[in-house]
Amino acid sequence: MQRRLQFLRRSEDEDIKDAGLVLDFDEMARKGVMSKEEKNVAKWYGIYASRQPGNHMARIVIPGGVLTSTQARNIAKVSEKFAMGKLNITTRTSIQLHWLKLGSLADIMRALADEGSTTRHGCGDVTRNVTACPLAETCRYRRFNVLPFAQRTARRLGDSHDLDNLPRKFKISYSGCGAGCAQPFINCVGAIAVGGREGSEEPRGFKVVIGGGMGATPFIAKELFSFVPAERMVDLTRAIALLFRDHGDRFNRSKARLKYVVERYGIERCREIVIENLRAEGVSTEGFVVEGFREADASYPDRPLAEEDTVGTDGSVTLRIMVPKGEMGHRQLKRVAELSEIYGDQRVRTTNRQNLELHGIPKENAEEVKREIRKIGLGTTGFYGLRDIVPCVGTTYCPKAVSETRALYDLLQPLVAQPKYAGIEKAAVINITGCPNSCSPYRIADIGFRGSRIREELGSTEGYEVTLGGTPERLGEVFGEFKRDDCPGVVEKILDTFIALRSEAESLSDCVLRVGAEPFKKAVYE
Amino acid sequence: MNYQYRKAPNPTEFSVFTGLGTAALDLKTLARDVPCQAACPAKTDVPAYIALISRGENEAAYRVNQEDNVFPGVLGRVCTKPCEAACRYAWTNAEGPVQICHLKRSAADRLKTPPTPLPPWFQETGRRVAVVGGGPAGLTAARELRRYGHRVTLFEREDHLGGMMVDGIPSFRLPLPTIEQEIKLITDSGIDVRLGSDVDRSGLAKLLESYDAVCVATGTMKAKSLDLPGIDGAEVIPGLRFMKQYNAGVVKSMKGDVVVIGGGFTAVDCARSCARAARRIVGADDRVTIAYRRTEHHMAAEMDELEEIRLENIDVRTLVTPVKAKVENGSLRSVVFQRNVMGDDGSDAGKPRIVPIPGSEFELPCSHLIVAIGQDAETEILPEGIALADRQQTAEPKLFVTGDFLTGSLDVIHAVADGKSVADEIDRFLVGEVRKKFHVSIELIDNDGETGRFRDHDLQEAPAMPLRSIVERAVGNAEVEKGLSDEATRVASSRCYLCNHKFEINQDSCIHCDWCIDVAPRDCIKKVSRLFVDEVGSPREYVQTDVAAEATYIYIDSDNCIRCGKCLRVCPTGAITMRKMERTACCSTKNAAGEVRWERLTARLDERKAARGRT
Repeated sequence: MQRRLQFLRRSEDEDIKDAGLVLDFDEMARKGVMSKEEKNVAKWYGIYASRQPGNHMARIVIPGGVLTSTQARNIAKVSEKFAMGKLNITTRTSIQLHWLKLGSLADIMRALADEGSTTRHGCGDVTRNVTACPLAETCRYRRFNVLPFAQRTARRLGDSHDLDNLPRKFKISYSGCGAGCAQPFINCVGAIAVGGREGSEEPRGFKVVIGGGMGATPFIAKELFSFVPAERMVDLTRAIALLFRDHGDRFNRSKARLKYVVERYGIERCREIVIENLRAEGVSTEGFVVEGFREADASYPDRPLAEEDTVGTDGSVTLRIMVPKGEMGHRQLKRVAELSEIYGDQRVRTTNRQNLELHGIPKENAEEVKREIRKIGLGTTGFYGLRDIVPCVGTTYCPKAVSETRALYDLLQPLVAQPKYAGIEKAAVINITGCPNSCSPYRIADIGFRGSRIREELGSTEGYEVTLGGTPERLGEVFGEFKRDDCPGVVEKILDTFIALRSEAESLSDCVLRVGAEPFKKAVYE
Repeated sequence: MNYQYRKAPNPTEFSVFTGLGTAALDLKTLARDVPCQAACPAKTDVPAYIALISRGENEAAYRVNQEDNVFPGVLGRVCTKPCEAACRYAWTNAEGPVQICHLKRSAADRLKTPPTPLPPWFQETGRRVAVVGGGPAGLTAARELRRYGHRVTLFEREDHLGGMMVDGIPSFRLPLPTIEQEIKLITDSGIDVRLGSDVDRSGLAKLLESYDAVCVATGTMKAKSLDLPGIDGAEVIPGLRFMKQYNAGVVKSMKGDVVVIGGGFTAVDCARSCARAARRIVGADDRVTIAYRRTEHHMAAEMDELEEIRLENIDVRTLVTPVKAKVENGSLRSVVFQRNVMGDDGSDAGKPRIVPIPGSEFELPCSHLIVAIGQDAETEILPEGIALADRQQTAEPKLFVTGDFLTGSLDVIHAVADGKSVADEIDRFLVGEVRKKFHVSIELIDNDGETGRFRDHDLQEAPAMPLRSIVERAVGNAEVEKGLSDEATRVASSRCYLCNHKFEINQDSCIHCDWCIDVAPRDCIKKVSRLFVDEVGSPREYVQTDVAAEATYIYIDSDNCIRCGKCLRVCPTGAITMRKMERTACCSTKNAAGEVRWERLTARLDERKAARGRT
């Protein structure tokens, strides 16, 4: 392909984006090939190349993680027809279809659109799927329901075509309380509901943190405002997106995310720019509190998601469905959709631990629905605990991955299911990611695994960097690097040491914070 | 449990991460990675000065050249460019090498502040050295000896310094002011110059008595003769004598055909000068012909210059050998040549063998015959019993020889290199120890791998050197090459790969994600199962693989690296670093325990300068 010499200090991706972000998938199907530039722009349509040559992945955007049962059935149908019947739930509550052929991509998008689903902005340098806490609507600890804010933000930013070409991806999450089940501190924008509980006269608003992110260099988000009136929260997300659009690095994509803007400028300068952006768009900043806002009742539990069979504020049960490795078959999703229609609120919810939820189940039907779920091979217990291991898709599908995360998942499951760990089952979570991109955010898990290859005397073997002591607000520290087959032994030593050292009901990460990593290292290496 | 895994060694191409690399490995890495510098006889830090030129820092670029090759303005015009032949573009790009020589001139031509002599490295030693011969080798030796702190007296037979630079090269290739300015930078450093001093054997004997060391750098001034039946030699003009007369303005005009025999620089310069003297270049009838026994490819001139020669209406006849001359009425009428054919094998003093073709004789009319088949050294100057060997120090310990006088006719850049090395030897002789040595300074550049280079820079067309028109060349001796324009200088300098930047992967941090391979602009990063290193630890060969399990290393092949920094920026584990290497003059110091430590000479100079500022 000919090229124009420009000597511009910007990435090649910027050149490609400048040439236009529109593709004709029917034409590509006719041609039978996708050029390098088309592959790049296809991300805006939620289409990625798969590890397997000739195959593609489509990421369905599900703002807040809520699908109607009809949409769920439709996705199952599309999966059956085009994706070898498989579908994968992601840690940003999207659903990915793999094994897609180039010639089918346009048909897949049309088929999804039939029921109002889309892959648009599933990937690319745009606002990605806006997430909310899995229990946003009914959680008894929530300040208020943040789901509508997530959905409105997705709509507003998705419709803002001046935000179609950001320096990199832009991630927003909404949490209903300080427990941060939507992982606000590792998002570009984390909105945490404060005040405004039902029945209270306290104003509703959000504490807003920005500049978090995982990836190769993880950052914990910094507080931008300690209180933003709820009615201007969506406007604020746009103002932050404009900050990112105008000040993100367009040369070095590895340092383009908002977290680097915040690091480079400092939070004060970022705040000034955001306020300028708000004023330029006629949005009042009255009522914004930079720091020091205190809720009347600031209490929340440490790990609300660890509670089983949550009873919502509406008195109904929220049933969670454990999807091993986040991957399920089209028949399973179809059955879950049916169950939501028969017993629930005709919605299927995806969670950031790659599981599903059914809301609005009458208490009296809960056991029956669980049985039905177990019948189709999915689990109904162990959420947000040792057995709720979250692997990314790893080398099974992802071209970026270094390790086969699902193989480690299979090695660890029998280990953590041992009866000796029943007492600590809810005190630790394990995340496994296949590469430093951290699609499974390993640094915020009690035990994190990041794929690597370990050099041998000749050749190399699959291995993992292990981190210890992460929480949604605190990064785990690097513990060591181990060959894959050694990892179960390492986890066993860590958990055994944890049992020995545990004080009351503390989590593994709290224990590590209290006693340090040394006792664990001693146990592993000696 | 033992989780300390056995791993293949973590190879590195420097002996230290940063600082002064004093191991053989460091010099080898520098030589391998920066081929232009390795090829330069004077070891000029080419990428350093080209980077400065691309930033418009011409004074600093000139200084780098002044330090390394002494005559930047001269060599920017007449260097034989061994660096360009070695440039990595030669094997990685279709556009030809970076125009290193032209760039050197670009900087020299654009100085806003005049250059100044280089400061000495060491304090005065009180030792006295005589240098005989004021050509490039003698001038260089004098400058370097002065920097060592010795008192230097320079003896020159002519009434001017410069040697072959002034006498042998025509001013339309090398203007006199350029040479004079650079000579002045040397003499101004405190050298006692004695012009018109013809040192013969007895004179040399006296110098040996009164000086601590004597260096003979009188070049090769004795023309090789051509025994040609039919003439007794009087009609033959030696090439160097002709050039000297031409440059002195003695040769005003010529009438009649000229034949120049030879294929070296002098032959070409003679022919081009004759073409001007005969006004041949604008179409006068008199013919100027170069006759050479091998082919154009074996001539010293490059193809570009041969093209210019033809434009100047000079005939080049190759594969011909003169067999006799014809004289009528006391005047030369013609030279008879025999044709040759290239021999299939064998060599004749390092050049391919030629075979005469019987019966192929032909006659070339001419009125003037210039023979430029080389010169020899006037070795009669040496004391009795002292002969030239392959060393600069002779059997008389105080007597050193250098430059063309020792090596036979070469070129300015070799003369400079010889002048530098003889100064090192003389200093070691006078002081009794090695006071200056070159090591490799290694600096971590922590700026996300930004060298300012993109793949676009590699793909630019090399700009052409603007030349004076043929009509302009016929009048006077105006310089033919006009020098690169500002824009052409920018383009030419930005093509340089900046090979002095080393991208290396720390294998202990690398996780084999292959992201660097994905973004690599060319086949510069590879999965390697085996990496073979030589006796000093320098990688020489590798076995490539596409299989993850077989990949022991992810390896950056510096030969193919374009220094764009993309790999470093994408590396998720910070395994890739960019370091800059520089050949650095160092001096040794001993601590109380008698341990020798090396430190950068420039650092010492800076300290001294700062101390002077304080007082």
